[in-house]
Amino acid sequence: MARKNAKAPHPQVAVGLEAGPFHERIAALNSQYGWMDWMGFASPSVLDNVEFEYFAIRNQSTLFDISPMCKYAIEGADAEAVVNRLVTRDIRKLKPGRVAYVIWCDEDGNVIDDGTVFRLAEDRFRLCCQEPQLAWLEDVAWGFDATIRDVSREMAALALQGPTSAALLRALAVKEMEQLKPFDFAAVRIGRKVVELSRTGFTGDLGYELWMKPQDAVAVWDDLVGAGGQQGLRVIGYQAVEMARIEAGFLLPKTDFLSSRTALRTDRPSTPFELGLERMIAFDKPHFNGRRALLRLAGSTPRRRLVQMEVGKDKPAANALVYHRKKKEVGMVTSALWSPTCKQNIAYAWLDAPYGETESGDLWVEIYLQKEIRWQRRMERCRIAEKPFFVHQRRSATPPGDY
Amino acid sequence: MKRGERVIVIGAGHNGLIAAGLLAKRGLKPLVLEARGHVGGMMGDPDFRLSTMPFAVWPQVLRALGIDVAFEPMTTLVPTPQGVVGISTEQVVGAEDGQAAAYRALMSRLERQASALSGLLLKPPPNLASSGFGDLLGLAGTGLKLRGLGKTELRDLLRIVLSNIHDLIEDEIGDGPLAAALAVDATLGSAMGPRSPGTVLTLLLRMARNRGMRVMPKGGIDILTGKLENAVMACGGEIRTNAPVERILVEGDRVTGVQLAGGEIVPSAAVLSSAAPATTLLDLLGPQHLDAEFVRRCRKTASTGMVARIDFDLKDAPRFSGGTAPSGKDRIVIAESAAAVEAAFNAAKYGELPKQPVMEAHYDDRNRRLSVSAQFIPCSLKGGWKEESRRALQRLVERELARVFPGFGSLAAAARLMTAQDMAAAYRVPGGHWHHGELRIDQLLMLRPFDGAAHYAMPVEGLYLCGAGAHPGGDISGAPGFNGAQALLAGRRR
Ligand SMILES: Cc1cc2nc3c(=O)[nH]c(=O)nc-3n(C[C@H](O)[C@H](O)[C@H](O)COP(=O)(O)OP(=O)(O)OC[C@H]3O[C@@H](n4cnc5c(N)ncnc54)[C@H](O)[C@@H]3O)c2cc1C
Repeated sequence: MARKNAKAPHPQVAVGLEAGPFHERIAALNSQYGWMDWMGFASPSVLDNVEFEYFAIRNQSTLFDISPMCKYAIEGADAEAVVNRLVTRDIRKLKPGRVAYVIWCDEDGNVIDDGTVFRLAEDRFRLCCQEPQLAWLEDVAWGFDATIRDVSREMAALALQGPTSAALLRALAVKEMEQLKPFDFAAVRIGRKVVELSRTGFTGDLGYELWMKPQDAVAVWDDLVGAGGQQGLRVIGYQAVEMARIEAGFLLPKTDFLSSRTALRTDRPSTPFELGLERMIAFDKPHFNGRRALLRLAGSTPRRRLVQMEVGKDKPAANALVYHRKKKEVGMVTSALWSPTCKQNIAYAWLDAPYGETESGDLWVEIYLQKEIRWQRRMERCRIAEKPFFVHQRRSATPPGDY
Repeated sequence: MKRGERVIVIGAGHNGLIAAGLLAKRGLKPLVLEARGHVGGMMGDPDFRLSTMPFAVWPQVLRALGIDVAFEPMTTLVPTPQGVVGISTEQVVGAEDGQAAAYRALMSRLERQASALSGLLLKPPPNLASSGFGDLLGLAGTGLKLRGLGKTELRDLLRIVLSNIHDLIEDEIGDGPLAAALAVDATLGSAMGPRSPGTVLTLLLRMARNRGMRVMPKGGIDILTGKLENAVMACGGEIRTNAPVERILVEGDRVTGVQLAGGEIVPSAAVLSSAAPATTLLDLLGPQHLDAEFVRRCRKTASTGMVARIDFDLKDAPRFSGGTAPSGKDRIVIAESAAAVEAAFNAAKYGELPKQPVMEAHYDDRNRRLSVSAQFIPCSLKGGWKEESRRALQRLVERELARVFPGFGSLAAAARLMTAQDMAAAYRVPGGHWHHGELRIDQLLMLRPFDGAAHYAMPVEGLYLCGAGAHPGGDISGAPGFNGAQALLAGRRR
């Protein structure tokens, strides 16, 4: 049968993927035709060259379309109580105009997802996260005077990240930006459009996220790209973002941990203690989901721990197993990267207790290398690192520097 | 808990009274708070008793309370066009010979199987998640009892236990009045018809004590209620009627007391609630103290009441076509066959009034009152309960009664009606359900009232369930009240 649609609207994109609000602009730049599926949207994996894109994050400024993120409006007289019941942190301390990084747990104390909460007003919040949560949020809000709305498609969003991102906004006369501290947000004007600008991101560096109506998306894009030449603004794809994420120490669901809502095997979900996020639990606030289970867990040794590791030499330890004294298998790597900026070979790994807790010496990863169709096995020493590999002081300097 | 400490018991139904009596005997100071103006719960209202013909309270429970009630077994009468069939502990009269013999054979087999299961009921349900030693011992005990059945009967039990009563009847005795009585016993109070899976199990659970026979306390039901009430007071307990609890108070994840509808705050270190689980957890405690999954399971618990009650004040005793009148020791079951019971359920399932409701009735000759429980009258009737539909129901019941008691129309002086919806409001039970929540295979044992809430102790420390919604379920039995009190005394935590 002849195809009816002789002229497909987005010829580059695989069947079944949807064009997002910035699609026309990104498609025009996507010389690699590299697309991936992000929540059903066509999201660029790499536009021309991943190294250029990565170095633009670290040295210039970059635009990445984050519209496919799941976004939920939680509103009403009990909105604060609902959000506080959802997440492990004490959200009563979050003031309007502020953003918080949060995690939330099921009744067994296993992490469901992480994300960011924006407090728009006393009684209005927005939750941004990777995985759909509508059914869960409705369960959490049952019996409370609050409404949950999926606003994922009512908002387009861009990540503007990199050392020159503030300079770019300055060039666009976005004055409110000067006072924004990390995790602040405010309504600003870009050209003739009003957007919400938050000082948030996933690169460990200076950066912003812009939230707008989908119908304003292209105009805002054009203004940013039009002004960005001086700052070396570059549109980037997911692969470069992923490199920066690993350097900056952010966890990725489905890669570093599995949501307890999707895990089938009972030992697959992870607790905040295992993820090293126990500092995010406010036991002293009113009841929140999983609190009783978390209290019990707080008194016992975690089964395993997600750690950051520095690996020897330069070959990324992707998918590697971790050994103690080169013999005993004690864990596995989830994310790995040769960090061009830190000049370090870095990885995240799960280590079974007591490794990563009381036993942290003599750890090795088993790296497989292919050299002209021959596989070679190499045992490489690794050691646990305490801090994220890349956090620049630019990230928090206010007013932000002009680079 | 320390001697002399106050414990609040919500609800003065028989389970609340039994729990309070046991706590008082152990030196605690129970305060029973009852919303209604009378004690006894569903069997307590002398003006309009919902529960008219109690099943027996477990003898162990009465013994633990130190009270003595003489129960007289009742005879079940099933009127048919050919005459009245009578079923008592000793004999079956008026039925076709072949069917009566098959019925007796089936009943004695079921009685043995039921008594093998009885060990599961007067103690907390087995805990499969964290099988402690006690739980294992309990299970092992039941296992031993089951082995005592012998290979053939055990195999038979496993074959039928999840099946439906209709198939069993069809295989073993054939349809007719005896089959109808069995079908009613297996489904009474439930939103299940004889063909619904698991109805053999619900029958067996009823038969686990006193062979599932109804009993009448010598001197009437109020004697039983009165003795339960005295057991509380005699040991220093207190009972307040017209005292509806509005909120269970919590501080630092511990119960601290309750607040009454008038605003009065009554502090206490523990609260046992015989109100329905959803009422206790969602209305009185509140979802803010509970995890979302727990709340969801509680909300989604099936609790669709399908029994309406209608009382007739009569000018004279009603008489069967043969001319005899039922006595106060008779229970009248009005259902032609198991198939008719299923047909009535079919209508109710779709929110309609059945063409021919299934009924059980009791004639109180002292007060000349005929009390009828009409089964398969849906709580949420299609189009809602209105004056018109209430009248239609009453006419339907009167028409059926006139078939059984010729000339009934001219006997009735006055009638009062409560639908399951009225009971829901009056007794604060979701759906007005007989068992405070459907008693079926996925809401039994460690899944009663729902997964994660089965061991009486609730997630907030100091809060316990002790009513029909908890294991092993409703009917007048006293088991949930007994088990709930034991859980508190043992300091069980979730
Ligand atoms: C129509 C009908 C007929 C029945 N017939 C029989 C029968 O013939 N034989 C039989 O064995 N069983 C029968 N049953 C079932 C039996 O009555 C119940 O299973 C039994 O009464 C349950 O006892 P309980 O003590 O757990 O609860 P209930 O008897 O329901 O008592 C609970 C008490 O708690 C009170 N309460 C609820 N909320 C609050 C609050 N917030 N504050 C204070 N008090 C509160 C209620 O007012 C009620 O008095 C019948 C049930 C129905 C509906």
